[in-house]
Amino acid sequence: MELGMDQLLTLSKLLLIALSLLIMIRCVRSMLSSGYESETWGRVRFGRDGTDVTHWENLIGRARSCDIRIDREDIARLQAVLRRFDDGSWRIYDVFGRGGVWVDGSPAGEKGLEIEPDSVIRLGDTRLRLQDLSAEARDKLDAQRTFAGKRVSPALTLCELTAFQLLLLFQHLLIAPGDKPAQIALGFAVLILLEWFCYYAMRLIGRGGFEVETLAFYLTGLGVSVTATAAPQDMFKHTVLILLSFVLFLLLGLWLRDLRRVEKTRAVAAALALGLLALNIFTSDAVNGAKSWLSVAGFSFQPSELVKVAYLYAGAATLEKLFRRGNLYGFILFSAVCVGALALIGDFGTALVFFLCFLVISFLRSGSLATVVLAVSGAAMAGFLAVSVKPYIARRFALWGHVWEDAYGAGYQQTRALGAAAGGGLFGKGAGGGWLTEVFAADTDMVFAVICEEQGLIIALCMMLALLTLSFFAVRTARRGRSAYYSISACAAVSILLAQMALNVFGSLDLLPFTGVTFPFVSRGGSSLIACWMMMAFIKGADTRRGGSFVVKTPAQSQRTAPDSAPKGRAAPRSKGGRR
Amino acid sequence: MKKITRRAFSVLLLSLAIIFGMTVFVLRYVDEAQTWALRFSRANAGAGGELLDRNGVVLASFDASRSAFAEDGEIRVACYHVTGDYWDRTGTGALSAYWGDMQEYSLLSGTTKKEPKRFTLTIDSEICRTAYFAVGYNRRGAAMLMNYKTGEVLAMVSVPSVDPINGESAVADTAFINRCLSASFPPGSIFKLVTAAAAIEDVPDLFSRGYTCEGQYTIGTVDIHCTGVHGTQNVRDALAHSCNAAFAQIAVDTGYNSLYRHVKAYGFLDTLELSGLRAIPGSYRSEYAGNPELAWSGIGQSTDLVTPFAMLRYVAAIANDGVLVTPHLILSDEPAEQVRLVEESTARELKRMMSYTASTQYNPAANFPGISYLCAKTGTAELGDGTSHAWFTGFLDDSEHPYAFVVLIERGGGGLQTAAPVANRILHAAIAAE
Repeated sequence: MELGMDQLLTLSKLLLIALSLLIMIRCVRSMLSSGYESETWGRVRFGRDGTDVTHWENLIGRARSCDIRIDREDIARLQAVLRRFDDGSWRIYDVFGRGGVWVDGSPAGEKGLEIEPDSVIRLGDTRLRLQDLSAEARDKLDAQRTFAGKRVSPALTLCELTAFQLLLLFQHLLIAPGDKPAQIALGFAVLILLEWFCYYAMRLIGRGGFEVETLAFYLTGLGVSVTATAAPQDMFKHTVLILLSFVLFLLLGLWLRDLRRVEKTRAVAAALALGLLALNIFTSDAVNGAKSWLSVAGFSFQPSELVKVAYLYAGAATLEKLFRRGNLYGFILFSAVCVGALALIGDFGTALVFFLCFLVISFLRSGSLATVVLAVSGAAMAGFLAVSVKPYIARRFALWGHVWEDAYGAGYQQTRALGAAAGGGLFGKGAGGGWLTEVFAADTDMVFAVICEEQGLIIALCMMLALLTLSFFAVRTARRGRSAYYSISACAAVSILLAQMALNVFGSLDLLPFTGVTFPFVSRGGSSLIACWMMMAFIKGADTRRGGSFVVKTPAQSQRTAPDSAPKGRAAPRSKGGRR
Repeated sequence: MKKITRRAFSVLLLSLAIIFGMTVFVLRYVDEAQTWALRFSRANAGAGGELLDRNGVVLASFDASRSAFAEDGEIRVACYHVTGDYWDRTGTGALSAYWGDMQEYSLLSGTTKKEPKRFTLTIDSEICRTAYFAVGYNRRGAAMLMNYKTGEVLAMVSVPSVDPINGESAVADTAFINRCLSASFPPGSIFKLVTAAAAIEDVPDLFSRGYTCEGQYTIGTVDIHCTGVHGTQNVRDALAHSCNAAFAQIAVDTGYNSLYRHVKAYGFLDTLELSGLRAIPGSYRSEYAGNPELAWSGIGQSTDLVTPFAMLRYVAAIANDGVLVTPHLILSDEPAEQVRLVEESTARELKRMMSYTASTQYNPAANFPGISYLCAKTGTAELGDGTSHAWFTGFLDDSEHPYAFVVLIERGGGGLQTAAPVANRILHAAIAAE
């Protein structure tokens, strides 16, 4: 009997690794093999030449980097931004303030002018005509694009994921059922049901792109396993939090579908971010050196996690706004306040994550001149970070690379993390079979080592691979994003996740100073989980593959205007009447 | 859009940095995982272990939920530097040194559960207890006793010591240091045993030479004081009198090269090991620095430093006609490895000289009642501040009681007055324990 159990355990370990690798391979393959064909929204004609319009936001000019390149002497390198709206209307903006952009004889200006179907656009001396596509033509073009999930079946991947999670549950029940086996089982069951619900709901609305969700669910499942080992008493709470996270992911995703709505509320999000940080500074007490927890009505949460989402929401911008210097300065100021506030709170790790994210966003949005300003302001912020380093953070820096020299003092956590991680070997001790969870903050700050110990090095590396895959995916889809807002926010979201992962994993393994940030999805903690899932909505927002994402409307959907008017498939774009 | 999305590769830079970090970690993991894992794997693997003394007294025992030491508090303290603790606080404990052997590890499956592992040490905890109290809990010092025929170390005591079950608040300064292995001291006159060995081998007419002592010896501008006025003596009497004036001359006669070669050959400058516990190397001038320094170094002053353990090895080799039976801590049926440390004729001559010294100078009947065949040498290493380390080292040239020993009392004064009584009590304990 005893022998049988041992063999079962070994078998389950091998299966877990095999499934883990399979899931990774399938997700990577699915992302690599997916067709990333551009969408086509219209055509710009100038003289006998013409160019397809493949984004909602397009830079027009002579430079190679322009989306609509018009190589004529009378046109500036960067001249104008042409933008399509969700309701099918078009506008052209003279964002660079050079003048020379006219619509029907009126200068477009920074605010832009609407383009009617018969409008004549003049850039310099060149006359352009915008040729919109008919709904039929657009649908036809769209139908030629590859459907997401066509080449690698997401349902099969999800089956593997389900098997993976059932095996995790099996190990928990076999090794250390504890006194809460039912709650652990419930946690996994709810997760698996949620996955399939998500899958069928997406299929129902004609979406087949499921890689992002699969990877997020894979990590969430490992998070459930960590909670089951480290804090089985919180299993029920964790399950509820997963449901809540998922609901918020859906809600944010649906909200992001309408870009104008998002644009109007960016300021609100910025205010929310600053407000949360202010509340944090003035009301919380320091816990473990950082005042990063806020208790409201018995629930304690980390406002900085939600601020991440708000920061993304407010920090990304549409193309015509990106090139306005005032907006850029506003963004820098906003970022500086956020990072500064976090430094004040003493949440050094999160401040660093924000700073890295700031660098990515600012690099994405900055033009040639602004890069200098950004670099300088970035350096200034880094300087501020350094100045605000507190004694306990300085100690962590001093310890960096020397944890074994003080294994019973300051290096206690990292040496235990390394010892436990190594103790698991490649195959691990099995879910619930580790001892690292007895060490303080193992289930948050040292979660990589917990997984390494219980599931082995291979699965722990897969866990990192999952986020890396997600980052490659986001970068790839960002190229085809409809709006700069979606592309930037998707890239920024993965950069936050990557930065967190790097600080968490390498901090606990003594490759970086120990800063105590969470591993996305896996670390225990509700605010973190919610923030991570909400960031997934941004990544989904950039996925314009056919049927790729519920956040992205199909061309047919984005054609429609007000619910009362405009039957589907109007040949001409709308007039300006109903837009506001 | 192109302009923006082209820059998305910046995210990939972050990914690349992470992949780089992962690679570094994996390489380190392959290299060091075993060390990491075995450091803490006790609870992990669930395996237990026991550390016993040669009579089966439990010095330490542990399993997944328990980290215990000897029940007897005096034994815990007396044997602390042998046992070590679970927290690596002393660098030279058996618990630290043998931890890895108490576990199993493979890269594939990590630490694996194993039957409880039992280590039986050569240590006799009762002799250690006697040695600890003989050195004196309120003094600082070290004492070791070994069987030079078998190489078994029966006692290794360092004072002040630690009761491992207590916290660190009450721990005396430097108590975690094992003075037998991890500290080196000026040897003073016990070093004359080394100078004598070099002279025996490299001064051809040594025994026909006479060395005159007028209470001090002037070499260059340096005065080397002696403890008395010994007149003209041969090398045997010079050792028995522990005559500084004579040995200063002998050192100069022998020459730096010969002395250095012998110090090195006898292992005083090596990083020695006692069954995996590392001892620090001692020191001797690495270059000739003039005859006055050579003379000082020949009487165990100058920059000379030795560890008690290195000294014990040396006298144990002399006792065994120059062959060192490797000192060890783990009891085993296998005979220990033997190496020739000292030329046989040299060893025999030294043994005769030490026997002569003990019988003529140390009044064995009064100072070592009931102990026969004592061969020994005292040391009183001046520290330059009026105090001196008291040394006493030697062996019993007795196949019934083949014990070699070394005793050091820091700032204890004269070797014969302070250290010899400690050795007496330890030898009695060893004989009683047979």
